[in-house]
Amino acid sequence: MSAVLSPAPPAADRAAAAGGARAVLALARFEARKLLSSAPVVLAFVVYIGWIGWRTRQSFAGYPALQDADRSTQAGPLLVGMAVLLSANLAVLRSRRHGTEDQFAVLVVPRGRRTAAHVLALLPVVLLTAGCVTGQFTWEALKPGAIGHGSPAELLAGPLTVLLFGAVGVLLARLLPVPSAAPLLSVCFLFVFVLGAFSFQGEGTRWLAPVVSEASTTPLPSDLIGRPAAWHALYLAGAALCVAFLAVLVSGARGLTVKAGVALTLALAVTGAVAQAGGDSPALTAARERATVTPEKEQTCVERAGSRYCAFPEWVPRTAQWATVVDRVRSLTGPAAHDRQLLVRQRIDARYGPAADSAIPPATRRDQVTVGTAWGGNRVPEFSTAVAAVLVAGSEAASDTMCDGRMVTVMWLSLSWQDDPVDALRRVRLDDSVSGAAIVLSPTDPLTMTEGQTDVVRRLLQRPLAGVAAKVRAHWAELTSPKVTTARVAELLGVAGPGKADSCA
Amino acid sequence: MNPTVSASGLSLHYGRTRALDEVELRLTPGVTGLLGPNGAGKTTLLRVLATAVPADRGSFTVLGHDPRTARGRQEVRRHLGYLPQTPGFHPGFTAFEFVDYVAILKELTDRRARHREVRRVLEEVGLGEVRGRRIRKLSGGMRQRVALAAALVGDPGFLVLDEPTVGLDPEQRMRFRELIARAGEGRTVLLSTHQTEDVAMLCRRVLVMAGGTVRFDGTPAELTARAAGRVWSSTERDPGAKAGWRTGTGTFRNVGDPPAGADLAEATLEDGYLLVLDGMGAGVAA
Repeated sequence: MSAVLSPAPPAADRAAAAGGARAVLALARFEARKLLSSAPVVLAFVVYIGWIGWRTRQSFAGYPALQDADRSTQAGPLLVGMAVLLSANLAVLRSRRHGTEDQFAVLVVPRGRRTAAHVLALLPVVLLTAGCVTGQFTWEALKPGAIGHGSPAELLAGPLTVLLFGAVGVLLARLLPVPSAAPLLSVCFLFVFVLGAFSFQGEGTRWLAPVVSEASTTPLPSDLIGRPAAWHALYLAGAALCVAFLAVLVSGARGLTVKAGVALTLALAVTGAVAQAGGDSPALTAARERATVTPEKEQTCVERAGSRYCAFPEWVPRTAQWATVVDRVRSLTGPAAHDRQLLVRQRIDARYGPAADSAIPPATRRDQVTVGTAWGGNRVPEFSTAVAAVLVAGSEAASDTMCDGRMVTVMWLSLSWQDDPVDALRRVRLDDSVSGAAIVLSPTDPLTMTEGQTDVVRRLLQRPLAGVAAKVRAHWAELTSPKVTTARVAELLGVAGPGKADSCA
Repeated sequence: MNPTVSASGLSLHYGRTRALDEVELRLTPGVTGLLGPNGAGKTTLLRVLATAVPADRGSFTVLGHDPRTARGRQEVRRHLGYLPQTPGFHPGFTAFEFVDYVAILKELTDRRARHREVRRVLEEVGLGEVRGRRIRKLSGGMRQRVALAAALVGDPGFLVLDEPTVGLDPEQRMRFRELIARAGEGRTVLLSTHQTEDVAMLCRRVLVMAGGTVRFDGTPAELTARAAGRVWSSTERDPGAKAGWRTGTGTFRNVGDPPAGADLAEATLEDGYLLVLDGMGAGVAA
């Protein structure tokens, strides 16, 4: 038996290769320092970090669903990416622009390795972006109202976009070595990816964009989101590395490692691109259908003060906040409603994915209140209104058609206990007004207030809470009887009535 | 003494133009001057020796390394310092950063040792005080010294300088000569120049090129000796002279074959250079 052994590379070759690798790293460190201190990158980071601070302070009204918060980290890095594209491009073109090509061409580190150093120099800025993304997400996660789970793959999209854009800047400099190319490409990217001038239609093509944010006002449970985030991260990583290897290849480094790198990373990018375009699986579609049509099968319920709160598992910690609202509203009602056992059920329409914003029909079951998946801000008075409407009218479906003086009681119950009742009135109305007729938002179908009802509610909200509450308790039966007029309600509660009769038309 | 650089039959054509034609060369430590008119092939020879362009034919070695192979070329580059005719600079870099950058490209990878070396060469060229200043704020002479520092960093055994004193004022030129003379101590320097006084003051050896070939290879004294007895003064330009020009005293200095009884003058290296070129044009208008 014989064995064929390939000869080991000579020691001199190994030493030269090691020296070359060290030189590439040293050059990458130098270029990274230059890149991080370049004006576009510094400016982009100042704006980006400022944007994070400004946005995250008030984002999600303080109650983020982390499965949405992870996506919200993806837009900011686009700005950094464009700055990196510009600066990396200029760094590669530096020798050509300032006539040092001839000098550097006869130095030991060849052009291909210099290009590799430019690519490696992108890593610190990518890591810094990752740090910003992590900081932004951690900020959201540390908010007391945070629920849910973020996806590491979603969090990777921003840094990988920066890497991709930087690598494109390096490749562009090698393919089209003119300083105007990168600014022009940046403008194109700005229009395509940021301003959305070109719409990526279809499941296959829209995921080719580096950032597919799919902003939604209705967070879905993590397992119903169905975004191919991991495949997209693979696609981005493959594309960025493929572009980087291509840049090294076109710079003259035609070694086997580089060619294999191009082939492998291209395969990764294609695999990611194909897999991410697969669309929703039948299992996901079925799960979304179940969560929409029969949420009770998916939810966890807890009892609080005689009422039952059913939520998708990630939202269970939030039931305490819902219960606070229910308790506050119920405490103002008459004795008949005091002991009513409400069922507060979280309902969503998940059938059209995370970007859809479908209306939820009112529940027909008596004493059932719908709550959405978003919370904080205007969602609180909206839920409060739904609770009050069910306590007054019996059910969401019944309150939907309410066009009488009960609306005054509903709105007073909903708003009077809040920190700034008149401001809450403004926020719960679609047109942000505190006078005239308006639509009142709720988790399901909206309610309507006439001009007269608005006037009476506003007058009541300006009165001391305890005094009005006593009258509400005293006249609860009449205040909640169908067909009671707004004028009569005003009279019972001791404020001036409306100028004209109710009209919901 | 073993030559640092040894070239044999080096030829390079640009289309039909013979830029280099069978150049033979042996360079040893010390400063060797390379004289020649424009288009003589000086810069082409330097670029070939600096491995910037390959020769069509012939071969050369630098410290025993043959640049025709990739590994040999890398080895040549490891021992090379090259200052091109019009060096470029990155104006936003400081002098230190620029030389440091070149040092990295020469594979000086140990950061501390590299920075020590960069400081050393900047001190050597007299820029230690301004090493933190951006290149855009340096004078032309200072920039040229930055380029020399970049060529010197890493202590190369073979230094190629292509007309480094062009555009410098006399004081800067003198300073540069000092630097080149110091650089030539213990290493091989090939200095291309139009300035015969540079060669006279600095070089242990001189090559004269014309038409892509080496026309003279010897010491400056030998080049000067070529003109001994072939330089004379006259009140009118001698029509038989190969070159002649009016001097500051109003008399004519003639170079060529003097007539009988001519008032012979002391020959200079420039006279020898002109005679080597033998009327190939050296701007010697009457």
